Amino acid sequence: MELRHPFITNPRLAIYYGLFWLVAGSAMVMISTFVSGVSFGISIVEVFSFVITYALIGSAIWYVIKFTTLEDHSVSNILFAHLIAASIIVFIWMYFGVVIIKLLHSDSDEWIKKIIVVRIFFGYMLYIIYVIFFYAVNYYQGFKEKVINESKLISLVKEAELHALKSQINPHFLFNSLNSISSLTMTDPARAQEMVINLSQLMRYSLKHNQKEMVSFQQELGNNKLYLNIEKVRFGSKLNPVFEIEDGCSNAEIPNMILQPLYENAIKYGVYEATETVDVITHCKCNSKVLEITISNTFDPNVQSKKGEGIGLRNIRERLQVIYGNPHLLQTNSDNNKFTVTLSVPQN
Amino acid sequence: MTEKLRTIIVEDEELARSLMKSFLKNNDKIEIIAECENGFEGIKTINELKPDLVFLDIQMPKITGFEMLELLEYKPQIIFATAYDKYALKAFEFNAADYLLKPYSKERLFEAVDKVASKIESEGKISDVAEKISNFPREEFLDRVVVKDRHKISIIPVDQIRYIESMDDYVMIYTKTGKHLKQKTMKYFESALNPKDYTRIHRSYIVKVDEINEIQQYEKESYIVILHDKTKLKVSKTGYKNLKVVLNY
Repeated sequence: MELRHPFITNPRLAIYYGLFWLVAGSAMVMISTFVSGVSFGISIVEVFSFVITYALIGSAIWYVIKFTTLEDHSVSNILFAHLIAASIIVFIWMYFGVVIIKLLHSDSDEWIKKIIVVRIFFGYMLYIIYVIFFYAVNYYQGFKEKVINESKLISLVKEAELHALKSQINPHFLFNSLNSISSLTMTDPARAQEMVINLSQLMRYSLKHNQKEMVSFQQELGNNKLYLNIEKVRFGSKLNPVFEIEDGCSNAEIPNMILQPLYENAIKYGVYEATETVDVITHCKCNSKVLEITISNTFDPNVQSKKGEGIGLRNIRERLQVIYGNPHLLQTNSDNNKFTVTLSVPQN
Repeated sequence: MTEKLRTIIVEDEELARSLMKSFLKNNDKIEIIAECENGFEGIKTINELKPDLVFLDIQMPKITGFEMLELLEYKPQIIFATAYDKYALKAFEFNAADYLLKPYSKERLFEAVDKVASKIESEGKISDVAEKISNFPREEFLDRVVVKDRHKISIIPVDQIRYIESMDDYVMIYTKTGKHLKQKTMKYFESALNPKDYTRIHRSYIVKVDEINEIQQYEKESYIVILHDKTKLKVSKTGYKNLKVVLNY
């Protein structure tokens, strides 16, 4: 939630606001001077003692709006909160107005007596106008943010899809897998067939889910198991996938195609460079609030791999930022020869 | 040809090995004498058994097929088998060696074998493929160097190299923890290391710019650099110019 004042985030709005009050104030001074026949100096003091002070104090009403949003609170709560806030603001406003009048006005006591009731009423009315104005600003901001987020999300999902497709037509993956199939057709036709089917399913999955952002964890995991099965055929005993999935996680929601880059990394940095067995361990637990997935693999720290965070991890972080407003839901940890990545997916 | 080619397969994927073996079973020119699962085993076995022909995968754990070639003492004929390697394919296009793109057919495999067999008849068993490949200009700078000291193979990340000294056909690579001899030319390293980080300061020296502590004039027209650990290296006239460019003064 954007808590900063719109006058700070959008200085143009602040300028318009200032100009409005300046014009309105000047007009009132004119009327007071030429129509009511009050002297020019006194008119300025009378008008600006209240107008300028309200322009300054009134801008604080934004924060009242922010903490009493229409979505999260009941009507009676909102009305009550505004009544209190309005009274406080009107009181502060009147106080400063009276002080200024007392200091600068020649006939202050008489004048205050004359206008005080009208001014208080005027203060409350202005408060209502401000509230409507700020709710409109707030709604517009939220709307704009939503539109931006939505388009960003669409492009990120597209990027994830593209990434998945690209890694499937990645020459090392594709041609080595086809070479394995070529080998299996002679030694073990049944397994060759199984691998062709797995490969097809994997590719179909990333072609199919064009628009859908969230899928069930079961579905997402199933897809990644296909991927691991294919790699398992290639790497044999070098790759040992282990799944420790707690009960009740399968229906949890998870962004589509968010896990594959994590398994790809485990294979690229763990299995590719290994001569011994590498366990790729997926541990998963969940409750009503969060689904927590931990994927770990061992790696050889002596082998210098190209450093830097890949597109895969960056895309995951950005999607978490857009969907949940928190890029830290993905944590990585490299400890001696063990790499662990933890993904926390909030659940509603 | 009466004598069979004594052949070793170096390939990390078991299914790829078994495919090649079952293809070659029917080829009367080939006798498979060993199989290796990675580059380390490959070096040991090739140096020991001195085969006529090696089928070599490029992408392998720990060290790549190319890096393995650099460390061989005995240089047999090589046929590469790879799924894809941008750099390799370019080298192959220039006929640096024969190669098989996975997945390949039996016919294509036999063709490659015939080619090598006739090459051996005309040129002999020792091959210059390793040299040709490793001297082929790279598109990317090195990120690691593999060296062999006696029987131990080490992988040195490039940023650990402090300086390189030329020693006839070899170079001595000085790192923070020691020094390693490698059969490569200065010219090779001059082009394979990123010139932003490494600069040739002399016929005999390439130095990591970050290691330089001081440049001292030591005669009228000659300079030396002093490294952080007080090592002093001579700088030639051209070397001084190079340094000026890199250090921007």
